[in-house]
Amino acid sequence: MCHVSVGHVARAVEESGIPTAGVYVSAFRFVAEEMNLPRTLITHHPFGRPMGPVGQPDRHLEVVMAALSLFESADRGGTVVEMPGRFAPG
Amino acid sequence: MSETLEEFKNSFYYGSRSDLSFKFLKNLPPEVAAEAIRQILEAVVTSFDTGEVTELHDLVIRWQVDAYRPAEGSQRKYVYDDAPFVLPGKPLKESRVGLMTSSGHFVSGDDPEPFGVKDMTQREAEDRIGEFLRETPTMSTIGRDIDAADLRLRHGGYDTRSALEDFNVTFPRDALLAARGAGRIAEVADPMYSFPGAASQGRLRKNVLPRWVEMLHGAAIDVLLLVPV
Repeated sequence: MCHVSVGHVARAVEESGIPTAGVYVSAFRFVAEEMNLPRTLITHHPFGRPMGPVGQPDRHLEVVMAALSLFESADRGGTVVEMPGRFAPG
Repeated sequence: MSETLEEFKNSFYYGSRSDLSFKFLKNLPPEVAAEAIRQILEAVVTSFDTGEVTELHDLVIRWQVDAYRPAEGSQRKYVYDDAPFVLPGKPLKESRVGLMTSSGHFVSGDDPEPFGVKDMTQREAEDRIGEFLRETPTMSTIGRDIDAADLRLRHGGYDTRSALEDFNVTFPRDALLAARGAGRIAEVADPMYSFPGAASQGRLRKNVLPRWVEMLHGAAIDVLLLVPV
């Protein structure tokens, strides 16, 4: 339900004039698609770990940078982009 | 006491074996859940020999994808044809970026105290998930420069173990600051925001969302990064 809640936030904030981008794990990609969210980055990470493994600041930064790039690359709502890379702790 | 396979797989969903990383098993028919468990155990054994666990992790993620995907023909409530979209008003490197997550973080001393309960434990939040899903969520504001020791977390809807080890797993404050340090963005907005996303959708939209939107405009945020959990 969290992913739907954030979907409502994304739609309302975007409609108010502030661009948004969301980081969704692949298990909830369908929520981003059903709700037609403005910009979505999909990470192939487990539920509950959207930014990546514990103690991996480089992976977290990669994800943030990819999400930020959507503000430059997306030219329409409903943009969904898959983040490369697997969940690789350690 | 005998237990059916149905009872066993459902026990991971807020039951006697509650484990929110595996609560997805409840969504699978018993024979499919059995196959998921068999495959996961097989991958564990493979990892004994290879020392490689990435395949095991990928397998669990694939089963999460399968289990959460809505059944074909099922009634879906929040499906929209239109996609809101506005272009950023300025280049990213000149932008003030906001962060909002549904991770359930809050600051020590500023506990939202759901249902009036002081110091609610994670376990109680999980036990009361049904009540959370009928309630209006509370937004917590979190200072951008908060010390990790002052950050608290409670959320009845997801496995918080990783986020308790490293808040950046669900609340990527440090990564945003690193993006600013690298010159990718101009500023990280202060404060940041977090709420427990397991909430009543109707109450969220009616009772708090308009205020949240106003709050973001008041904070002069140029673009907003959202992290659902």
